[in-house]
Amino acid sequence: MDCKKAQRVFDDLSHDRLSPEDAVAIRQHLADCTDCRVLQQREARLQRLLALKRYERPAPQYFDNFLTEFHKRLSVELQPSVPWWDRMIGGIDEILSAESMQVWRYALASALGVTMIVGLMWTGVRDSDETNDGTAAFTANSSVALLSPIAAPSSTDLPADDQLATTDTQPVLMRGDAESATPQYVLDRISVTPASYDVASVHF
Amino acid sequence: MKFGAKNISENKPVAGPSAPSSLSVASEHQLDLQHQDDETLVAQTQKGDANAFDVLVVRYKERLYATIYHMTSNHEDTNDLLQDTFIKAFKSIDRFRGHSSFYTWVYRIAVNRTINFLKRRKNRNQYSLDDLESSIQTDPDLVEMMSHATPRREVSLTELQQKLNEALQKLSEPHRAVVTMHDVQGMTHADIAKVLKCSEGTVRSRLFYARQQLQGLLSDYL
Repeated sequence: MDCKKAQRVFDDLSHDRLSPEDAVAIRQHLADCTDCRVLQQREARLQRLLALKRYERPAPQYFDNFLTEFHKRLSVELQPSVPWWDRMIGGIDEILSAESMQVWRYALASALGVTMIVGLMWTGVRDSDETNDGTAAFTANSSVALLSPIAAPSSTDLPADDQLATTDTQPVLMRGDAESATPQYVLDRISVTPASYDVASVHF
Repeated sequence: MKFGAKNISENKPVAGPSAPSSLSVASEHQLDLQHQDDETLVAQTQKGDANAFDVLVVRYKERLYATIYHMTSNHEDTNDLLQDTFIKAFKSIDRFRGHSSFYTWVYRIAVNRTINFLKRRKNRNQYSLDDLESSIQTDPDLVEMMSHATPRREVSLTELQQKLNEALQKLSEPHRAVVTMHDVQGMTHADIAKVLKCSEGTVRSRLFYARQQLQGLLSDYL
């Protein structure tokens, strides 16, 4: 038996787990090999030293309430979990119901109310601004078009179908309506007649 | 009847020493349970008899305590881990199919939870050591060790205990688990392999390297 193989079975030798043949072989090796014998003796002493830990024991009354504590912990573990919002509301309620919070809770409620009102107002103002801005922009972009109505075209220069898509502020002329229908303009009600609307200046 | 957590909770009130489910109240049923083997108790627990699990707790709490304690060297942590182990076992007992013994199964839970705990607690070792039994004074190995008249060996038992625990805490968690199970508790390689779900070769290898490290750490006592 070589040293490497012998060292692998030191543990089995000390626990009498070797077959009789192997036990004889390793004992023979240990008798012949000083290095292995020293190693084996050190390992055996280490095992005996570690085994002394068996004498460590908890205090005698340590396990007296073990089962009771186990039941307590188990019942806590098995309780259904409370949702986070319930815990949060419960926590706030607990804080506010404290004696020292009697004055503060009114202050807090007022502050929350004011915050909500301000928030709602701010949201409303912002929405209103957005609507107004949109209208103003639209008006600015379309003012030229409004001030310059398209003259009613003659039947010969009616736009093609695909060119009929005009802005919403301009009346759409239907084919054949050129003479029968007078176009209506937004600025018709303005007292100053635009030059382009002066009948005298219109030449057909 | 298979039972879920709710049923167990109903069957098992928070028990004080005088609560009906406590073993201190020796009802006939409970006395009967104490004589049952593990398989029967597990089957009873799975059917909803929470008292049967109490018997298993009482039966194995000390052995599991020792295993966890030798790995943590702290009896407060050990208490928490032991409670956690039994709670985990109780909640999972429906899934226990009897492929191994109940003890191996619960032992595996304890060791795995302890290893995970130690990994999280890394480098924060706080010793809280148990008492030494007075019978250690007559242990032949200790007597033999103390009989060697070297100054270093004239240490107090408390100091020896401290050094042993410090040395063990310097091992990696898997190595410490193997040394605890084999050298302290006397389990076989095969049993350790079952608990750790690894091969016997792995157990032997871990034991070999752990002992080499321990020989260096405890050279004054060898």
